Amino acid sequence: MFKKWDIILIALLICLSFLPELFIGSKQTEQYSTTYAEITLDGRLYKTVPLSAHHGTTRFTINTTQGSNVVEIKDAAIGIIDADCPDQICINMGFIAKPGQTVVCLPHKLMIEVKTDKNSNNDDIIPAF
Amino acid sequence: MNKTFHTVFLGLLVAQSLALFVIEGMLPVPFIAPGAKLGLANLITVIALYTMPHWRDALLVLFIRIMLATMFGGGPTIFIYSLAGGLLSFIAMLAVKKLGQDKFSIIGVSAVGAFFHNVGQLTVAVTVIQSPLLWLYLPVLALVGIATGIAIGFVANLTVPHIKKLPGFSNWMTDTV
Repeated sequence: MFKKWDIILIALLICLSFLPELFIGSKQTEQYSTTYAEITLDGRLYKTVPLSAHHGTTRFTINTTQGSNVVEIKDAAIGIIDADCPDQICINMGFIAKPGQTVVCLPHKLMIEVKTDKNSNNDDIIPAF
Repeated sequence: MNKTFHTVFLGLLVAQSLALFVIEGMLPVPFIAPGAKLGLANLITVIALYTMPHWRDALLVLFIRIMLATMFGGGPTIFIYSLAGGLLSFIAMLAVKKLGQDKFSIIGVSAVGAFFHNVGQLTVAVTVIQSPLLWLYLPVLALVGIATGIAIGFVANLTVPHIKKLPGFSNWMTDTV
């Protein structure tokens, strides 16, 4: 059954899985003022929609050669509410509003990413004590 | 070693892993993270790795299963994801099994396989979508994957000793592994 090295190995793997968090995770925590969503198809920008300035509910359909996704913007949050892909994962991912969050539909190569306008130059300043 | 037994056993492993793959597709899986799966078919890859005389046989089982699974319920997209995940997971499992000698049990090897399956699939997803942000799903995917990997390793641990009781194993288990 379990051996001592198995536990060490599994602990190591769990630590390893947080590695990307260290490099790109910090982006998500910074303060933001205005947000917008970038919709990309197959890596190319398809549409940019403002989020923080948005009120009410807007709905539109994105048709690609692979299929279609119905995108809904509810106030400052964006999400996919209907899709004809087999796994329906994009719908399950729900609504997103914070910069850095993503909703992805892999079969249709569609990605929605929330971004912010704020310049993050402040990050470069290291306070001296 | 008996060539007929070898061929029949290989065929049985492929059939079983394909059946597990199809059954898994029918099971409703709770939505924990995008792409989180049980990875039942990996059970057979692990068993093959521990019972077949050479690792090439286990790789063959994996490869044929992925090819057939693509025809049964996937498509070209699923094929690329399965292949990337499957191959990376196989290389990692083989490395741990060979390099670790007897330090690691089947459970550890299976957990490594599950982890690197996620890494492989995420690599493809990041390449397809062209956004490194997807890597942020790795912690949750890896945790779920390691948990299922441990469960798979547990089952394999119980199965392998019984498979080795088969008469066909009596002469070639000892000298090749």
